[in-house]
Amino acid sequence: MFYIIGGVAVLSALIMVTNKKPVTAAMNLIVTMLCLAGLYVILDAHLIAALQIIVYAGAIMVLFLFVIMLLNIQEKEGRLSGHKIFLQFAWIMLVGYIFISMVKLIGGGSLPARTEESINGFGTTKAVGEILFTDFLLPFEIASILLLAAMVGAVILAKAKVD
Amino acid sequence: MIAELIEAVAKILFIFGVNMGFFAPILGWVERKQSAVMQDRVGANRADILGFTLIGLLHPLTDTIKILTKEDFIPAGANKLFHTLAPFISLTPALITFAVIPFGGQYEIFGHRINLVIADLDVGILFIFAFASLATYGTVLAGWSSNNNWSFLGGLRAAAQMLSYEVAMGLSIIGIIMVYGSLRLTEIGAMQENFLRWGIFLQPVGFILFLTCAIAENKRVPFDIPEAETEIVAGYFTEYSSMKFIMFWMAEFLEVVTISGIVTTLFLGAWHLPFVSSEKLLSLFGFAGPNLSIVLLMLTNIVTFFAKIIFMIWLQMTIRWTLPRFRYDQIMKLGWKILLPISLINIFITGLVVLLK
Amino acid sequence: MNYELNYTIGSIPLDKLKPKKVRKNIELTLWERLYIPEIIRGMYITTRHFTINMIGFVFPPKGKKRKIFTVYYPEEKLTIPIAYRGRPVLVQREDGKEKCVACGLCERICPALAISIVGGERHRGNDMERYPVAYTLDMSRCVYCGLCEEVCPHEAIVMSDEYIGLAEYDRKNMIYPKEKLLVPVARLKDRIEYVRKIYGKNNYQIPSTNNQIITKSQ
Repeated sequence: MFYIIGGVAVLSALIMVTNKKPVTAAMNLIVTMLCLAGLYVILDAHLIAALQIIVYAGAIMVLFLFVIMLLNIQEKEGRLSGHKIFLQFAWIMLVGYIFISMVKLIGGGSLPARTEESINGFGTTKAVGEILFTDFLLPFEIASILLLAAMVGAVILAKAKVD
Repeated sequence: MIAELIEAVAKILFIFGVNMGFFAPILGWVERKQSAVMQDRVGANRADILGFTLIGLLHPLTDTIKILTKEDFIPAGANKLFHTLAPFISLTPALITFAVIPFGGQYEIFGHRINLVIADLDVGILFIFAFASLATYGTVLAGWSSNNNWSFLGGLRAAAQMLSYEVAMGLSIIGIIMVYGSLRLTEIGAMQENFLRWGIFLQPVGFILFLTCAIAENKRVPFDIPEAETEIVAGYFTEYSSMKFIMFWMAEFLEVVTISGIVTTLFLGAWHLPFVSSEKLLSLFGFAGPNLSIVLLMLTNIVTFFAKIIFMIWLQMTIRWTLPRFRYDQIMKLGWKILLPISLINIFITGLVVLLK
Repeated sequence: MNYELNYTIGSIPLDKLKPKKVRKNIELTLWERLYIPEIIRGMYITTRHFTINMIGFVFPPKGKKRKIFTVYYPEEKLTIPIAYRGRPVLVQREDGKEKCVACGLCERICPALAISIVGGERHRGNDMERYPVAYTLDMSRCVYCGLCEEVCPHEAIVMSDEYIGLAEYDRKNMIYPKEKLLVPVARLKDRIEYVRKIYGKNNYQIPSTNNQIITKSQ
C-alpha cells in the first residue's frame, strides 16, 4: 500500500515539475497532496490526513487554481530537449541520494515498528489536541501569532490597493 | 469475518441504492413538482405508460432515456481530459461523504453487533469537509476546460464562493463539536437521544449558519451565481451534454441529500424519535421476541432518519424556490463580513458556556 | 359582436382600480436587514401556497374555482381575444375569388419580406379587375406584426386567430401559396370589423360617442 501511494505521489510530483501547462501542474500537485493524505492514513494519523485534504487540497490549491485561471498564464513555446531533461533528472537523483544517505547517517536504521501504544489512541483528535496544548503549547502559540501577523499584513496590503 | 463482510457490503449497497436509485432520480421530480405546487402550477405530468402518468413520476425515466441517447459533445479547444474528468470529480464526493453519516445506532442481533454506518471514522465530520472541499475542483475544472467564456466565469465564481463559504461552514459546526465533545458522527448521534439535547436547541445559531453555508457550498439558489442562468447561460456546465450534464445535476441533488444527512445527524437528533427513547420502543416491540424486537427498533430508527432527511430536503427545496439569487458582491459580503464573524462569536459564546458549566 | 371598451381586470372595473401603495423608501429597516425573519416570512407565503395546493390536489374542491391557473394546452384552449394576431390570411369573397387587388402595399411594408405578389388582370362581369396571379407568404419569415393588415386598402389580408399547426419539419412546407391562404369572408367578419375600428378604415363610424379612446384617423 505504501509503495503504491508513494509511487503515485512521486510520479505526480514529477509531472507537476516537468509539465508546462499550469493547470495540469496544479492538478498533479493536488494528486500529490491526496497521496500524502493517504500516507498519513497509513500512519494512523487520521486527523492530520483530513486536515491535509481540507487545508492543502481543498483550500490552498483551489486558491492556486483560481489565481492561475485569473491570470490566464499562457503555455510557453518550445520544449525541453532530451539532454536537458536527462541532466535535470540526474540532478534530482543525486540530491535524492544525498538526502537519503544523510537521513541514514543521522537516523540510522529503519522506521520504528508500530507499537501497541501507538495504535491505541494515536493520531486521534483527542491525542493530537492534548499534545498540542501541553508539550507543544509554545510553538503552537508562536505559530498562531505568526499567522495573525501575516493576516494583518495581508489585510493592510489589500486595503492599500483599494484606497 | 464473513458476517462482517456481508454487513459492510449490505450497508454500502443500501446507501448506494437509496442515493442513486431513489434520491437522485426522485429529486428531479420533487424539484419540478414542488416548485409547481408552490407557484400555483401543475408541473410535469405528461409522460405516461398506457395512459398512467403517476403524477409525473415517469418523467425521471423518460429524462434518463433522453439523456442517454443524446450526443456526448466535447467542444473544440477544450481540454479533453479535464473536461471528461470534471463531472466525475464533482459526483464522487457527493457519494463518498455519505459513508460516514450514521443512519442508525448500534444493535446486537443474533449475537452479531451491527453499527449502522459504513465507516465509523474518528474524524467523521472532518472527512465530510475534506471531500466536500474536493467537490470544488469538479466545478472549477469544468469551467476552465470548456474553453467558453461563460463557463470560465462560472468556474471563477464557484472557486471564490466555495472557498469563502468553506471557512464559515467549518467554523459553524465547531460549536456543536464543542457541545458534544466528539468528531465521531455516531457518538454525536447517540448523544441526542433526549429531545431537549438535540443540536438545534443547543446550537440554533450554528444550525442556521451551517444550513446557509451548506446551501452556498452546494451552489443552489439563492447562492447559484456559478450557474446563474440569467447571467452566464448555465455557468460552469454550459458546454456539457448527455450523461456528463446529468452527472452535475446528480451531484447537486446528492449533495442536497448529504447536507440533509449531516444536518439531521448534527442538529435534528439523528435517528432518534422525539420524546420516545429506545427503551420505550423496545418494550413496545417486546411482543416480537428479543431478537426481532431489536430488528423492529432498527427499522424504526432507519425510517425516522430518512423521514428527517426527507423533511430537510423539503426545507431546502422550499428555500430554493422562495428566495431570489444574491448578487456576487452580496454573496462575498454575506460570507466574509456576516457569517464568519457570527460563527466566531458563536464559538466564543459556546466555549464560555461549556467552560462555566 | 360588441367590443367592450371598459376593460376590466378580474371583476373590478378599470376606473375603480386603485394603485397599491408603493414603498418609496428602499432603505431596509433593521428588522429587514436581519434577513432571517424576512426569509421566514417569504417561506411562510410559499409554504402556505404549497399546503393549500397540496390539499387541493388530494381533495379537489367541488364547485369552487380551482387555485391552479394552468391551462392543459392540447386538451384545453384559451378563448382568443379578437385583437390576437394569428397567421395572416387572404379574404375570400362570396363568389370564391380573392378580395386582393395586387396593389403590392403589403409586399412593400412587410418588414420580414415574407410576402411576394405576382399581379394580373381578369374579367369581372363587364369590368376588368386586378388580382394576384400568385400570392406567396413565407411563414418561416412572417413575424406576425400585422402591418400588412393595417396597410391593406381593400381589407383583403387580415390576421386570423389560427395559431395551431404552423410548425413544420420542412421549410418548403412553410411557403404558403394563395390557395392555402384563402379563408371565406364569413369566418373573418369579426376581425374585419375590428380592423376597421382600430385603424379607422373605410370611414368607419364609432357607434358610441362616450368612449373617446379610439378616434378616426382622418
